[in-house]
Amino acid sequence: MKRAIGIVAVGLSLAGPAFANEFKWAGTTDPQTLDPHAVNTASVLGFLNNVYEGLVRRGKDMSIEPALATRWEPIGNGEGWRFHLREGVTFQDGSTFDAEDVLFSYQRASDEVSDTRSWFAPVSDVKVVDAYTVDILTNAPNPIFPDSIANWMIMDKGWAETNNAALPDKENGNYATLNANGTGAFKVTEREPGLRTELMPNDGWWGEVEHNITRAEFTPVQNPATAVAALLSGNVNMINPVPIQDAERLADSGDVKVIRGIEARVIMLGMAQEADVLKYGDDAGKPNPFLDARVRAAVAHAVNVPAILKVTMRGNAEPASQLVSPAMRGYSDANSARPEFDPEKAKALLAEAGYPDGFSFGLKCPNNRYLNDEAVCQAVTSMLSQVGMNAQLEAMPVQNYWPELREDNYDMYLLGWSPGTFDAEHPIRFLASTPNKEKKLGSWNFAGYSNARIDELLPMIQSEIDPAKRQAMLDEAAKIMQDETAYVPMYVQPLVWGTGKNIELTQRPDNFFILRWVTVQ
Amino acid sequence: MSDQATQPATPSRLAKAWDSDFMYNFRHSPVAMVSFFVVALLVLGAIFAPLIAPYDPFDPASLDLMNGYTAPMAPNDFTGDVFWLGTDDQGRDVFSTILYGMRISLFVGFAAVAFAMVLGITLGLIAGYVGGWTETIIMRAADVQLTFPAILVAMLIFGVAKGITPIEHQDTMAIWVLIIAIGLSDWVQFARVVRGATLVEKDKEYVQAARMIGRGKGIIMLRHILPNVLSPVLVIATISLALAIIAEATLSFLGVGAPPTQPSLGTLIRIGQDFLFSGEWWIILFPSITLLALALSVNLLGDWLRDALNPRLQK
Repeated sequence: MKRAIGIVAVGLSLAGPAFANEFKWAGTTDPQTLDPHAVNTASVLGFLNNVYEGLVRRGKDMSIEPALATRWEPIGNGEGWRFHLREGVTFQDGSTFDAEDVLFSYQRASDEVSDTRSWFAPVSDVKVVDAYTVDILTNAPNPIFPDSIANWMIMDKGWAETNNAALPDKENGNYATLNANGTGAFKVTEREPGLRTELMPNDGWWGEVEHNITRAEFTPVQNPATAVAALLSGNVNMINPVPIQDAERLADSGDVKVIRGIEARVIMLGMAQEADVLKYGDDAGKPNPFLDARVRAAVAHAVNVPAILKVTMRGNAEPASQLVSPAMRGYSDANSARPEFDPEKAKALLAEAGYPDGFSFGLKCPNNRYLNDEAVCQAVTSMLSQVGMNAQLEAMPVQNYWPELREDNYDMYLLGWSPGTFDAEHPIRFLASTPNKEKKLGSWNFAGYSNARIDELLPMIQSEIDPAKRQAMLDEAAKIMQDETAYVPMYVQPLVWGTGKNIELTQRPDNFFILRWVTVQ
Repeated sequence: MSDQATQPATPSRLAKAWDSDFMYNFRHSPVAMVSFFVVALLVLGAIFAPLIAPYDPFDPASLDLMNGYTAPMAPNDFTGDVFWLGTDDQGRDVFSTILYGMRISLFVGFAAVAFAMVLGITLGLIAGYVGGWTETIIMRAADVQLTFPAILVAMLIFGVAKGITPIEHQDTMAIWVLIIAIGLSDWVQFARVVRGATLVEKDKEYVQAARMIGRGKGIIMLRHILPNVLSPVLVIATISLALAIIAEATLSFLGVGAPPTQPSLGTLIRIGQDFLFSGEWWIILFPSITLLALALSVNLLGDWLRDALNPRLQK
């Protein structure tokens, strides 16, 4: 007995200092994979930004700064970009980083099975010049290319090939789904999908260490009230997000800090524009009304966005008129008005389109991805039914949600989009271009929206160097999408994080949580 | 004369029932009367919900989001509407939602108990009367199931059923799946009691007599033994009803039961839980009180029934 007490005492005295700066945080969504090329979602990329690194990275103010490349310059007359790589960098398993890994990561990330494929639509070729120099050649001059690859993470060629993970596997997963080997400031030491993920500082990291964390642990907590209780009791040091309904009270309580910002994410409704028939509801099998732009416009007028902002988001979000928020480069000021809430107009538009009595259809919605996503969908359901569009709502966890959308199992769906490049060109490439596997375009355009002029504008926007001309084209694209109601953008999602009083961190507008900026007092 | 003779006969029947031990017991038990009153009130409220409820919470077209989060008895900031028990996050009237939610809770409870009762009585009768291998198989299966908590069994059945129903029918099927899941997790109680009682009854003279005149096994079980084993079943059924209502609420609270579009009391409590920290206490409090009142009074009624039907406890 005495010995047991002695062991406990020693254990305690060891545990004290060793885990002094343990940092635990909780979020709604578990990153569904550790493979940085398998799934292009913020929850995956944001998490992996702590483990993997790209050639460039984003700083606290979102500006591009050197990471695995120390400098870069354009080649010739806009043929591409030359990247000079950092020397002496090692992966977490000890192998050396060089140009071969960059080439391998390009091939891996741009492969047909990779979700990140459309990032490389402008790239024609990648050439290894020497062990620490890489040329990335583009189809046309691409002035913003270095800005667009901050989330393209570099994986070790040897590690991936030895472990049979040379290509990502979205559906079944492979070694890289559960294991990670990056060059970043933290390494994954334990991974239990859906339960917890443990990270330890990477002692061999090349960068200057700003954090003082000795061990970090992420736990997905779906229920918002549970997460708040965990934060208040000190079981976790940070939660993302703080439920909007609790933000006010938590901030007033003084026990924890509430950090607010506006996220770059626009929440919108997408409607099937390729399917010939409706798939859900009482009218399943009948011709698809959303093919008619007037029906889509009716949806835009029927949804009472001001009410959603006031009640569901409690005044914490801004309305959105287009696929990007006003803070993004290339936002179209000329098209900043969103369709006003007008149920009578919506009914008139429906009647004009041949649906005076409305119709019934299916609305798919995630219930753990965006702030109050299910509540917003319920509100949308009741608003649409008031003009005769009877939505059958089905809300599901995001792990099941994306596959459903990829299979085209919806009539209408909810989507949030945060442009990884912080530029208005990004959503055009992903959400508005006609889906085209060859050209790596429209990979998240589930709706199948297609407009020849948009497809024509995109490469011109990508290669235009004159800001005024570029903006004119972005304005035109925004106008087309508004006129045709390609999507119904509703609002820009707020960022609300909660931390303990003893935590200092940086909140980045892309909602990426960067561990190496955390200090524990 | 004959008129005078039959006249008192009719009221005397009622009076007889009123004067019976059972009713006497009831009239002298304040707990039984209060719980009966509460149960009757709640059941009637649920049955006549469409007539009583000021709003139809299942009709999305009638909801106004601007009414969301209105406090009880206070006018809404934007619309000025007043709601007795306030509104939830979608602007649904909490009072109406409770009435409609109770319908689902009670329906699932009654149907699950009925299902468990039919299954349990049938298997218990067969096990007790037939005996041999049949009895061993049925009763060992029951023993195995008893080693798992009922809620776990219900969740397992619910999960399997959800896996095999196509996604677009899941919402409509959810209620029936709940009934089957709770019923299947609850039949053992009935089977054990009925088997025990059957074992006692099956060698009594009246059963032997029935056998002698050549009645079939089925007829003997249904017409002769069953009526004599029913009174303990009635007691278990009442207590099971309270348990089934709670099981349904638990499953719905965990998010595996009634869908949010057809909220039961458990679903309402789950929704309300999100607002525990934000000050909207009425969204969780009123459904919880209703569930408490319902389960408690059904339970008390069951307790009283057990005592009243047990001659050994009569003073």
